[in-house]
Amino acid sequence: MKSNHIISLLEDRPLGRLSESELATVKAHVAQCAGCLRAYRAAEVSTLLLKEHAAREFEPSHFFATRVLARVREQQAAKEGWAFARLWRATGALVSSMAASVAVLAVLTLVIPSESGTQQAAGSVAGLYSVEEVLAQESFQESELTDAQVFNALYGSPGDSEDTDGISR
Amino acid sequence: MRRYGPRVFRFASRYLKQRELVEEAAQEVFLKAFTELDKYEGRGSLEGWLTRITTNTCLNMLRSSRRRPELTVSDLTEDENTWLESKMLDTANERHQSNERSLVAADLAVRVLDTLSADDRLVLTLIDGEEATVSEVVELTGWSQSKVKVRAFRARRRMRQAVDKLLAGKDETQ
Repeated sequence: MKSNHIISLLEDRPLGRLSESELATVKAHVAQCAGCLRAYRAAEVSTLLLKEHAAREFEPSHFFATRVLARVREQQAAKEGWAFARLWRATGALVSSMAASVAVLAVLTLVIPSESGTQQAAGSVAGLYSVEEVLAQESFQESELTDAQVFNALYGSPGDSEDTDGISR
Repeated sequence: MRRYGPRVFRFASRYLKQRELVEEAAQEVFLKAFTELDKYEGRGSLEGWLTRITTNTCLNMLRSSRRRPELTVSDLTEDENTWLESKMLDTANERHQSNERSLVAADLAVRVLDTLSADDRLVLTLIDGEEATVSEVVELTGWSQSKVKVRAFRARRRMRQAVDKLLAGKDETQ
C-alpha cells in the first residue's frame, strides 16, 4: 500500500460514505502509519465540524416578510422612475422640440406685438417733432387764422390803406 | 413568502452562519424572485427554482466576503480549544454533544471554512455537511459533474490540512 493511499481515499469521498471494507482498510493502515493516522484524525474532526456547521439553522424573524415587501415596493418605485427616465430619453428630443416651438410661438404672440405697439407709441411722440408734422401743424394753424387776419393779408391793414390812399391822393 | 420563507431561510443558513447575513440573503432571494418571476418557466418546481436562486445568492455573498488567510491555534477561543482537545482524545466516542458544545463546534467550523474559497465552502457544506449528492450540487450550482467532484476533492484536502494544522498546533502546546 502506498503511503498516500488512504489520504487520497479520505479526500475522494466524505468519511461517512466510505464502505465497511474501505473503512477497515483505512483503520488497518493508520494503525501502522503515523502520517496517515494524523490525516485520518484531521478528516474525522473536519467531518464533525461540517456536521455541526450544517446542523445550525436560523428561523426568519417576525418582521422578515415586512422588510422584504418594503424592499420590493422600493424597487418597484425605482423601476417606475427608471421607466419614466427611459420614456423621457426616447421621446425627449421630440418633446424638447415641441416645447421650443411653443416657446417661440409664445414670444411671437405676446412679446413682439407689444414691442411694435411701443414702437408705434414712440413713433407718434417722435412724429410731433418731425418735419411733416410741424408743417402740418403750421398749415393747421394757418387754417385757423381769423377773418380779420385774412382780410388784412389780402387788403392790408386799415392804416396802410390810408397811407396808400394819401400817396395816391 | 409565508410558504417558502422558512425554507429559503433554512437553505441560506447552510452557507451563511450569521443571522444578519442569512436574513440579507433571504431578502435578496425574494427580491430576485419577485422581479424575475416572468423568467420562471414553470418547468421545475417553484421550490427548486427558489433554491437555485438561494444558492447563487449565497455563493455571490461568500465570494464577496473577505477570506481569512489562515487560522492558527492562537486564534481559537478557550471553548474552541477545549472542544478540539476533546476531539483529539477521542473523536469516535463524542458523537453526542451538548447544545453548547455544538455551537462551539459550529463556530469553529465557520472559522475554518472562512480560510477556504467560496466555491470550496459551498461544495463542502453541501456534500460533506448536508450529505447532498454530486448530482444535487450540479443541479443547484449549474456546474459540471467533474467540476463538482474535483472541487470537492480539493476542498476536502484544504479543510483537512487546515484542521491538521490546528491539531498539530495543539500537540505542540501540550
